[in-house]
Amino acid sequence: MEDQIILELKNVRKVFDQTIALDNVSFTLKRGEIHGLLGGNGAGKTTLMNILYGLYKKDEGEIILRGQPINIQGPRDAIHQGIGMVHQHFLQISNFSVLENIVLGTEIKNKFTMKMDEEAQKVENLCERFGLDVNVTDVISSLTVGARQKVEILKALYRGVDILILDEPTTNLTPQEVDALFESLRVMVNEGLSIVFITHKLREVLSVCDRITVLREGKNITTLERKDASEEVFVRAMVGEKMDIEHSIYFATEDRKAFDRSKAGTPKFTLENVSYISSDGISKLKDISLDIYGGEIVGIAGVAGNGQRELAEVVAGVIPVSSGRKVFLDKDITHKTNEELLHTGFSYVPEDRLTDGFLVKATVAQNLILGHHRGKPYSDGKFIDWKKVHSECTEHIKEYNIKTSGPAEIGGNLSGGNIQRVMIARAFCLASEVMLAHNPTRGLDIPSMDFVYQKLLARRAANYATLLISEDLDELMRICDRIAVIYRGQILGILAREEFDKYAIGRLMSGITSENQPVAEGTIS
Amino acid sequence: MEIVINFLRLVLLSMVPFVLAAQGTMIGGRTGVFNVAQEGIMLVGASLGFLVSYYSKSVLLGVIVAMLAGGIFGLALAYFTTSLKMNQFVIGLSLFFIGVGVSTLLPKLILGITLSPPLIPTLKGVAIPLLSKIPFIGPIFFDQNLMVYFSILISIALWYFLYRTQKGLELRSVGEYPMTADSLGINTTSMRYWSSIVGGMLIGMAGAYLPMVYSGTFTEGMTMGRGWLAIALTFFGGWSPMPILYGSLFFSAVEVLAFRVQVIGSVVPYQFLQMLPYVATILVMIITFKRARVPGFLGLNYDREKRTL
Amino acid sequence: MTTVKRAIPYLLAVVASFVAAGIFIALMGFNVVKAFETILFTSFRTPNGFIQTLLKFIPLLLLALAFTIPLTAGKFNIGGEGQMIAGGIGAAFVGIMFGNLPAILLVPLVILGGIVGGALWGLIPALLLYKFNINEILTTVLFNFLSLFLIDYFCTGPWRDPAAGHPTTIAISKAGWLPTLVKNPPLHIGIIIAILVAIGIYIFTAKTTSGYEMIATGANPRASRVFGIKVKNMFVLSLVLGGAVAGLAGAFEVAGNQHRLIEGMQSNFLVLGLIIGLISKGNNAAVPFVAFMISVLEVGASAMQRTMMIPVEMVFIVEALILLFVLLSDVVRRK
Repeated sequence: MEDQIILELKNVRKVFDQTIALDNVSFTLKRGEIHGLLGGNGAGKTTLMNILYGLYKKDEGEIILRGQPINIQGPRDAIHQGIGMVHQHFLQISNFSVLENIVLGTEIKNKFTMKMDEEAQKVENLCERFGLDVNVTDVISSLTVGARQKVEILKALYRGVDILILDEPTTNLTPQEVDALFESLRVMVNEGLSIVFITHKLREVLSVCDRITVLREGKNITTLERKDASEEVFVRAMVGEKMDIEHSIYFATEDRKAFDRSKAGTPKFTLENVSYISSDGISKLKDISLDIYGGEIVGIAGVAGNGQRELAEVVAGVIPVSSGRKVFLDKDITHKTNEELLHTGFSYVPEDRLTDGFLVKATVAQNLILGHHRGKPYSDGKFIDWKKVHSECTEHIKEYNIKTSGPAEIGGNLSGGNIQRVMIARAFCLASEVMLAHNPTRGLDIPSMDFVYQKLLARRAANYATLLISEDLDELMRICDRIAVIYRGQILGILAREEFDKYAIGRLMSGITSENQPVAEGTIS
Repeated sequence: MEIVINFLRLVLLSMVPFVLAAQGTMIGGRTGVFNVAQEGIMLVGASLGFLVSYYSKSVLLGVIVAMLAGGIFGLALAYFTTSLKMNQFVIGLSLFFIGVGVSTLLPKLILGITLSPPLIPTLKGVAIPLLSKIPFIGPIFFDQNLMVYFSILISIALWYFLYRTQKGLELRSVGEYPMTADSLGINTTSMRYWSSIVGGMLIGMAGAYLPMVYSGTFTEGMTMGRGWLAIALTFFGGWSPMPILYGSLFFSAVEVLAFRVQVIGSVVPYQFLQMLPYVATILVMIITFKRARVPGFLGLNYDREKRTL
Repeated sequence: MTTVKRAIPYLLAVVASFVAAGIFIALMGFNVVKAFETILFTSFRTPNGFIQTLLKFIPLLLLALAFTIPLTAGKFNIGGEGQMIAGGIGAAFVGIMFGNLPAILLVPLVILGGIVGGALWGLIPALLLYKFNINEILTTVLFNFLSLFLIDYFCTGPWRDPAAGHPTTIAISKAGWLPTLVKNPPLHIGIIIAILVAIGIYIFTAKTTSGYEMIATGANPRASRVFGIKVKNMFVLSLVLGGAVAGLAGAFEVAGNQHRLIEGMQSNFLVLGLIIGLISKGNNAAVPFVAFMISVLEVGASAMQRTMMIPVEMVFIVEALILLFVLLSDVVRRK
């Protein structure tokens, strides 16, 4: 491996409205290395790379590529310079084919007839060379997350990039798929690419990167060779001095005792043989049975797209079950509306904060009472006591550390992380017997994640029931008493805390139970 | 047989404003720009087209000017929505108002308030040699005025462009998911501008057709809702050129049928017959709205620097 | 931000539009000062002028609300015209068919007829939206056209007044005429009812839980549904309310002004109502003030066309420009 510096970002500064996203940040990339860009959410990693890729414009700073300063005005320039990026949220057109997505934006030989045999051949050659198998005629909407990621990587390779940026690539992969991805990265590096690996997961970066740069709150903290530093150094670099690492949950090393079901009464929430068939006739949930007791946290593990969304929506009452029963606090609620649910002790943190939970054009106060607006303390059923709403809201803003000018501020002015805090405040501020949280910490920085974990464990101590659906396996293993694994709409197995094992869960996530064989990869039937 | 041939000829004659306005709506919508100002743009096209034809004695010039006026509206729509990121419906409605106002103001200013409106000669048919002699099909399809031929050809051209060329693929991607298109170096802004301008031009032409073929003059509100019907038609055609062409034939047929029945006379009061095209539109929408394949980003604006969660 | 500070962009917009229009008027060779004077002050020079302004204010206020109420729930009601006509038909129906009833019964019934007619005309598009997910912009517009044919039927058919030169119905029974506050020129009690309606709508959205649910629905229908709000019901409610308010305007036109159903009664109220609603940015509380301003301009415009031969469309352009500048001021403020 040569020690040549191929790319340098110097003194980059970027400001969004009032927030300083990047403050004098520098970054270097050596030829043939896998360089990890590590930091919590909001640290500035994606912003920095988006500037390199031309999606954002930097306010100050330089980009020096292969020794020459360059100016990148947009993704076209970046691609032209040999820089490619695989985004966290795949940039694909769902109703186009794999081939169409890969060639989109390039010069096609037969641009006036769109016969793309040559292009298809080129993609197939790349597949062989880099060990990524996809079928070029498949439509994107029919693919699994893992397959879609391969398409995303192929898009960059097709354009002959020699610098590849991957933004949180392991978010929706099983542990086995993560290993396979790392293998592919090694192959790419051997073929001459240089890779930037953005992540907030410390363990991953330690296992695959050669050098690691840590960012925090938009600033450089440190850059070290992997072999030169221990895990503790990186932990401290990621969270800084303000966080109490020792008593944190995020970094806890000693184990808790699991919730003892033998002493519990009746479950607070039960799903009995619940099935759900979507409007286009696809069976999304198959015969799901689940109990959640007060005083425990039950987690749902699985790769995104295996029915988590439908499970969340069935539990929260957003969609009706096709068959089966739902029992809440000993009452059959199978056919009740979610309005009732939310006003009798149920709270919900949806996965899609903006679309499913936030009112961008309304005020912070109006956002906080959504779902609980018909009952005490905010309303007597007919009229809303706005004075009370404002005073409660002011308190919650303080407690949940929401950065805003006040209850009357328009929601759309808040940053992403603060919007999330509003949603979390909404779910936690009124005592609820049962809570459903779907990826509640996604997008939060580490201290905030820890705050949420503290709150979840406090619920547990207060004998409330919590269902936590998460795509972050580490998170589930950290705080759950039980983990159920969902695969293609079925619960394949439930493990108690004593049995937690990453690879065992990973196997279930891939559909491998002890009885059957792994199911065919690549497509969802 | 004569009756059927005449009926079909009339259907093709009447479908032109529908086809042009709907295709204009479609092409803009394919990049995500949802134009709701058709009624206003068509009125300006009719008004301006009529005035220019009258004073220049050239119908062609009238059509061209109407086209340009429509293009300006399309440009304004693109600017306010794509560059200034304003709400597309609000801007569309505002342009609609301006179109209505301008279309009635111009004739008043230029011609003054007259009792007998001046007329322009209506468009003549151009028979295609040989083909127009084919029995039945000939007089229907090949003995029409130039705008009829144009509207059929433009529909085919748009289909080919969208589905058989590289630029068409790129344009479609902008309307489905502009982030993707942008990240691959496609200039989403320029695509939106161009599609909106071309769309506006087609809509302007649709308006110009009205005085040139029907009454020979401009009357206030002469579009009679065809601009709004064009939007329904675009949904009906699944935002795709060829189905829109077929759908236009259907809409036109209902309109001609209602008129015919009115003339022949019936037990039903004629006002209810006049309602037929509109009621048919509603029925059509009931059928199609469930399964309409709409561009993913229709009606939404894209801001590259918008940070997402 | 204080109310005064908030009003500045609007004032600037008005000034800018007048400047633009003034240039145009001057270019056409008219006396700009006299034109502006006529437009702005006709309403206040004579009692008649003021009452004419109030009479214009009533339908403009109601039609603007007919647009802004559904807008609160995120829906675009372009059907105010049809709903007003349907209301007029409803009022005329009651006024003609039940003409024998005493005034104390007939007047409220006529008003009710208007409300029901308008509400119905808003309900059908609402149901099409509810059941078939059809975009309400299209359906409400189509229903405008349907109502035009319907009123033509009644004015030239069963209720036709043979003596009239223009399609119109016979007069409704005198017992159904709205009582007047002022006799000459006649100002009917509709003005009081309209203002009460505006206040009622404000209280609804600002203080009640259902009003909150409507606001939330408009802000994010998906999130509202996820959190328990019956969003589809809100859509229907908002459109029916909007229709009812427009229908009320129709009832006032029939029972208060003309005392019969006249084809063309809808005038240009729809477009002006939309403009008022948009200038108010959907804020139900601001609508009455903007509606009054537009009423002043409209009265001035007719006077201007009568006395100076400047087409009324000139003022319409001014109004459209005010809208454009108000919208632009938002953009500027963002930057």
